[in-house]
Amino acid sequence: MATAKARTTSAEVQGLSGQLPEAVLSRVSDKLGIPAGRLSRMVEVLEQVVQEKGDTDSIVEKYKADKSALIQILLEIQRERRWLPKEVLTSVCEKLGVPLSRAYRIATFYKAFSLVPQGRHLVTVCMGTACHIRGSPRLLDKVVKVVNVNPGETSADQKFTLETVNCLGCCALGPVIVVDGEYHSNPSSNELEGLVAACD
Amino acid sequence: MTIDGKEVEAEEGKTILEAARSAGIHIPTFCYHEKLTPYGACRFCTVEISKKGKSRLVTSCVYNVEDGLVVQTNSPKVIKIRKMLLEFMLASAPVLAEVAKQYGVEKSRFKSEVTQCILCGLCARYCAEVKGANAITFVGRGVKRRVAFVDEVVSSGVCMDCRQCFGVCPTGKIPRETDGASFEGITVQDVLSRMNRK
Amino acid sequence: MAKLRSPADLEKKREQIVSKRDPSKPCITICSGTGCHALGSDKLHEAIVTEISKNGLRRKVDVRRTGCHGFCERGPVVVIFPDETCYLGMKPADASEVISKTFVEKQLVERLLYKDGSGASVALEGEIPFYKHQTRTVFGNNRLIDPKSIDDYLAVGGYSALAKALLQMSPEQVLEQVKRANLRGRGGGGFPAGVKWETTRNAPGDTKYVIVNADEGDPGAFMDRSLLEGNPHVVLEGLIIGAYAIGSHEGFVYVRQEYPLAVSNLTAALGQARDYGLLGKNILGSGFDFDVTIHRGAGAFVSGESSALMTAIEGMVGEPRPKYVRTAVSGIWERPSNLNNVETWANVPLIINRGADWFTGVGTAGSKGTKIFALVGKVNNTGLVEVPMGMSLRDIIYKIGGGIRSGRRFKAVQTGGPSGGCLPESLLDLHVDFDELTGAGSMMGSGGMIVMDEDTCMVDIARYFTNFLADESCGKCIPCRAGIEQMLEVLERICAGKGEKGDIDLLEEISDVVRDASLCALGQTAPNPVMSTIRYFRDEYVAHIEQKRCPARVCKALVSYFIDPVKCSACGICLRNCPADAISGGKNLVHIIDQQKCIKCNTCFEICPTRFSAVLRISGEPVPAAPPLGTEVARKKGKQE
Repeated sequence: MATAKARTTSAEVQGLSGQLPEAVLSRVSDKLGIPAGRLSRMVEVLEQVVQEKGDTDSIVEKYKADKSALIQILLEIQRERRWLPKEVLTSVCEKLGVPLSRAYRIATFYKAFSLVPQGRHLVTVCMGTACHIRGSPRLLDKVVKVVNVNPGETSADQKFTLETVNCLGCCALGPVIVVDGEYHSNPSSNELEGLVAACD
Repeated sequence: MTIDGKEVEAEEGKTILEAARSAGIHIPTFCYHEKLTPYGACRFCTVEISKKGKSRLVTSCVYNVEDGLVVQTNSPKVIKIRKMLLEFMLASAPVLAEVAKQYGVEKSRFKSEVTQCILCGLCARYCAEVKGANAITFVGRGVKRRVAFVDEVVSSGVCMDCRQCFGVCPTGKIPRETDGASFEGITVQDVLSRMNRK
Repeated sequence: MAKLRSPADLEKKREQIVSKRDPSKPCITICSGTGCHALGSDKLHEAIVTEISKNGLRRKVDVRRTGCHGFCERGPVVVIFPDETCYLGMKPADASEVISKTFVEKQLVERLLYKDGSGASVALEGEIPFYKHQTRTVFGNNRLIDPKSIDDYLAVGGYSALAKALLQMSPEQVLEQVKRANLRGRGGGGFPAGVKWETTRNAPGDTKYVIVNADEGDPGAFMDRSLLEGNPHVVLEGLIIGAYAIGSHEGFVYVRQEYPLAVSNLTAALGQARDYGLLGKNILGSGFDFDVTIHRGAGAFVSGESSALMTAIEGMVGEPRPKYVRTAVSGIWERPSNLNNVETWANVPLIINRGADWFTGVGTAGSKGTKIFALVGKVNNTGLVEVPMGMSLRDIIYKIGGGIRSGRRFKAVQTGGPSGGCLPESLLDLHVDFDELTGAGSMMGSGGMIVMDEDTCMVDIARYFTNFLADESCGKCIPCRAGIEQMLEVLERICAGKGEKGDIDLLEEISDVVRDASLCALGQTAPNPVMSTIRYFRDEYVAHIEQKRCPARVCKALVSYFIDPVKCSACGICLRNCPADAISGGKNLVHIIDQQKCIKCNTCFEICPTRFSAVLRISGEPVPAAPPLGTEVARKKGKQE
């Protein structure tokens, strides 16, 4: 959903790396003194940055840069990128005409946001009352052991983020664990290990 | 209306706190400032009001005056509240010991992380509403709530020339920890990385 | 879809839809709420559709995915119309048997039917005790409609109340009906909705807002989730009628982001309503304009408080405001704003269609109509329950809930979420309505009803709720932020075996200030779980503090695990499963727990076969000395004792 402008730029950049003849790549790399592999990688990163900027811009546009939609905009960016980079907060606030302090306030107040990159796989354990009575603290202990991450943290290899949530509304199925958006009711230790092993 | 037995006349739209001050009656506050929108964080200006026999505890900084209101600024319930609020404040801001003594609180039974901050918000609110710089904000929530300077605004240099937040801070934390020049330890990035390490 | 430009258009459309449907035609409905989805209803749906095809029944049998039926623990729930046979816990592998038995052999699949206490099966959904004693006025349509289909909603009479209100009644008349019905807010506050509507209507200013509070943060409550997921149109219809009565042209639905299915079903519903002209400009030709924006929460319980919610809609952090002026007068952007809970709005179309007198015929003197409860915890039948106001706790828990599971004993029922309290057995005959539970120190709240048995520690429950509130407190005001922090510290010490004399008095002293001085209802009601458990279960607090004993054997620091050498049969199950490798033993040798290594995870206790029940949980007494290593068991494997 990139805006027309971003799409064009992105296409131009994308066209570049895909079509950069080897000869041109190696000549440029010689001139700049940068290894061809690294040069190629740099162009890839540039593509990605342009693509992501396009996404952020398009999200802001979708909400017509309405100040009151700040939280909604941040929610969508968090979902796309799995975190809220500083630069994105600055750019969104500029476009909306709100102080940067408000974005920090919101991003650190709500559980949905992360100011550091989250893992590729999000594991959530429900700690609501009904789940608590049915043993969610023990389930959490088991999960911590299996994914080797503490609640609220991300593994060093950025594979897993483990969160606790205060109620998912599936109280009759407790204790509940969610892995990448899939809900599971009262998993056994074996089932847990299977779920985690299935995450690459 | 009457405040502590004294008959007081006030304009509609004024708060009990404003009416009391005009009448020379002192109601103590921590987070109130004439130039700022009342915030209601410290609860220290709590008073006991009654009308038609029903009594309530309300914060005088935001409660509008009403005809026939009877206000007590030092009732036993109010005193009890103030004393415990001071015990709470002392646990995170021991620097307020002298102020607490004035209300008969010699020490606190409670322990908390010592931040020397009572989160009155005067710094952040002054910077936002009067200065318009929005250089200071709250991060986190609950007991993890902290004040922090926004790195991007600080690095623009506007804070060094301003320093108006120094004067409004009731505990002196802001001038002490910013040291006028170095904001180390008190910016958003610093506070967040401390939180993440916990 | 052509826009419906008048009530006549609406009725014509409805007739068109209904005439194409044959009520006697078999239809397999599969519950597709989040609960059943978590139990695999997606794959089940696929399997059923495949089997229908395989058997050449595609033209003869319909398949419909419906809204939540409420019997969540027994999901996936499948009901086959027109007979209304109900199968519980159906798996994809059961599809072939169910299809062939139902449509070919015309027989029931016994093993998937509900079994009552005596083992007798109940085939009809309506006869199952869980459903039999309910009055599903608001919730009932969930099972008949696909929430993603506005046509299904029209088929059951949807939007007829809207047509009546907009074209046959004046806003004042609509307001009058809702006032006469004495519809009280279902979100927990119980404030008369009609009065709130009137205040908003009469407040100065032309721009007014109506809001649906779908933040449902109470842990253990999921009524609103099921309504919004399962029948978003009934909520929308109520909202539009309310907007008309109040004079508002712009509405908001604030949904917590932890409910993605509710958000997506609601988004689809809004789109369909707009397509039909039931939302937008000149609705049904009445001249009334109204539209709705969805605003998602971002993970904060406190943002469900009405002033906090309105601040979040403004795009700022959702913290409560310290004002004493009603939000009905000064709300979003200081304009009159009427906020009501999902279930409150869902009752409005009923009141308009059937009248206030019908509505007041159900319920108690002060609490009219029905209420949906989330009955969860240690009961046999857990799920969503709709009953008339005034039913007793006992009837709800025993008649509908089927009593306490696993043959345990009832201990307490927690109502009202973190703002409520725990009630003991002696109060089971209290009638559930807005006022009766408050007198006893709890409250009906939004409808969460958590049943606890003898294995629940009431001090741990108080600690649990206080911990929840500490996590969710916005931290703006001192009494809530610091007061809850300090109460939690005391409770954690008590549960860790470090309770001190004077702790109960200290908890009461802090509670008074937190209740009296906090800025919003989160802080003001935070002491309730602690105070109500002290009131009714003081002996448990005393046991923890003075005897370092946890009567329910929950608090890890106060419990030791010990294998009774007389009962142990050396089956080896606990040894193999101990995550801490703390159990030693061997064939025919008594198993012994190493107290230094034991992490009190409870695994051995849960896993020891019932016929042995050899693992003991000891609290408040010294652990017996372990038998010497190498002691043989009294009961050998394979031999009867």
